[in-house]
Amino acid sequence: MMGGNDKLNSRFVEGLKKFTKKWEFVLLLILLAEFVIFGAANFEKFMRIGSIFSSINNYISICIISLFVTFVMITGGIDIQASSIVGLTSIVIGVLWSDAGLNIWVAVLLAIVTAALCGALSGFFVSYCGVQPMVVTLGGSFLYSGLALLISGLSKTPAYQGISGFPAKNDLGQFVSFRALGKMLVFDLIPVQIIIYVVLIVLCYLLLHKSRYGRRVYLVGVNRQAAEYSGINSRWIIMSTYILTGIGAAIAGVLLTANVDSAKYNLGSTFTLSIITAVVLGGTLSTGGKGSILGTALAAIVICILRYGLPLCFGISNQNLDLPIGIMLVIVVAVRAVLALNRKPLFRKLDRESLPRN
Amino acid sequence: MKLIKRFLKIRWLSSLAFLAVMFIITGLVNPGFFTYSNIIECFNSSVVFTLLAVGVAFVIMTGEIDVSIGSTMGLAAAIAGMLAQRGQSWGLMIVYSIVIGLLIGLVNGYGVAVLGVPSLIFTLGTTGIIRGLVYVFSGGKTTENFAGTFTNFGSQTLFGQITIYYTIVLVIVIVTHLLLTQTRSGKYFIAVGDNVGGATLIGIPVTATKIVAYVLCGIFAAISGVAFASKYGQVNIVAGAGYEMSAIAACVLGGISLSGGQGNLAGAAIGAVIMSTISRLLVFIGLSSDFDNTIKGVMLISIVVIDALMQRRSAETARRERLVARASGSAR
Repeated sequence: MMGGNDKLNSRFVEGLKKFTKKWEFVLLLILLAEFVIFGAANFEKFMRIGSIFSSINNYISICIISLFVTFVMITGGIDIQASSIVGLTSIVIGVLWSDAGLNIWVAVLLAIVTAALCGALSGFFVSYCGVQPMVVTLGGSFLYSGLALLISGLSKTPAYQGISGFPAKNDLGQFVSFRALGKMLVFDLIPVQIIIYVVLIVLCYLLLHKSRYGRRVYLVGVNRQAAEYSGINSRWIIMSTYILTGIGAAIAGVLLTANVDSAKYNLGSTFTLSIITAVVLGGTLSTGGKGSILGTALAAIVICILRYGLPLCFGISNQNLDLPIGIMLVIVVAVRAVLALNRKPLFRKLDRESLPRN
Repeated sequence: MKLIKRFLKIRWLSSLAFLAVMFIITGLVNPGFFTYSNIIECFNSSVVFTLLAVGVAFVIMTGEIDVSIGSTMGLAAAIAGMLAQRGQSWGLMIVYSIVIGLLIGLVNGYGVAVLGVPSLIFTLGTTGIIRGLVYVFSGGKTTENFAGTFTNFGSQTLFGQITIYYTIVLVIVIVTHLLLTQTRSGKYFIAVGDNVGGATLIGIPVTATKIVAYVLCGIFAAISGVAFASKYGQVNIVAGAGYEMSAIAACVLGGISLSGGQGNLAGAAIGAVIMSTISRLLVFIGLSSDFDNTIKGVMLISIVVIDALMQRRSAETARRERLVARASGSAR
């Protein structure tokens, strides 16, 4: 009995040791450091669970989309169109609901389908026509934001105003129906978006790390040719990752529309660089084959807390926040690159030693 | 037929043909477009984009990318605006912007070429830093109320209604284009982008070439900031955000491959004219400028998809011809 326990213990310790060598562990340390520093600077203001949650809530779209973009980047692609799909989703919901008079949930469903189709179109060009993902999604970002503007022209409401007045409260004054997605607090504390985010993290984790599909995504990213030879339809796998990103952007668009009570064609148009920052900071290689959902999620939260804590504790204005986040990104990627450079000779040495001697 | 085929192979010429077709279509729909000043105005108004696109073309040719040009432009524009408020001369602004561009280019080049960080990610990081610096320098306020001479300078025309700015840009583009296509070290950019390993083996200084590409890109972007400030007469804190994507799109339209090693600067300049005139042409056709982005997107995607399919087809034909030649050779 004792022995079994020891074995379990040592396995646990080994797992822990393995974890400390992982990038996610470093992110966890950074997150911890943020809490310590911000807490020490201004404990009273910083340590309010409610405001921490609402700060994450402000960036929930970036958090959600970055989860899905991780899939694309693991296959070796990149997606810079997701942020324009956010606006497209929003305006499609608005026009279908207010001008076409559809039920709000039907409108939401149709918007998500539209977004998935947009992702599928770009994915098709990337995987079946062999165009570089950066170019296709660059074109996609123009196309889908342009379409969003055109669709907003179909509405009676002027484009710059945004369609508002979505079904919100019941007779008791509680948030129900569509607006509940953006405003409801679970236990009067946790915004419902955060619950959705956590559910999405779990789903994406299972999909990427525990399913056959996830294995294939990794294999396509590591070596597409080998993946093809082992019978994986790499084209379909690559296309499907863009569809997933489209759906992710649509979910973000729905939540954002519900939160601000305004369907606008240019919602989320400035998210692109932040999304990629989160994915990259999460340890995903832009060349493909490496990355994890947990890393992306942690990195997104690290950025959220930084954006929340810096203005609150050090009085840095909100406009200046690009600077520290940029510095953090540059330092992190530079340090990782330098470490990788130093590690290379070590590997070569090991290789030479492991060669059979004759 | 053969002539057409050869013509299509010179990628920047087909971009020029595309631009001409765009003009002709606009003219057919609305004959009022076909005046000298309308067409010249299309070129004049593309100064900022031309500088950005030509600058980033250096980097794209070497197979890397730079998304920090938009914020570099914003920073240079804000500083140029501040100098103009103090009544400083145009030459000083150019000196300042060259220094800014040089520094930013060196940082980007060091990160990408020496440290080996993927270029998209590194320049993404510097984008944030530079944008932050814009806030710091301008104090979060829009820089405006320039001295009049500075903004008037941009609209002065030299000969045949071409503005001074476009003349300068045209000279720069032609000179750099010739340098890149006719000189030995000018061809390094394409060589590095085409095949890094091969370039290293024949003794091309790959790291230095990439750093030079980033420095040139930074300087061009910073100078475009001066042109921006002089054109619009005010610089807000997010000036230039999103311009990087349009500049990259212009390069693609000009026949520069994003995987490097293909294209030239003339193509980038023509692509920039295409990108910046679409909204102007739409007005003449009678569509609202709401169609602007949709048409840009459709154009960009269809051009690259057609290009990719054509390249695949020509590779397939070449392979088949090789097989046929081999088969007939062994039959003998």
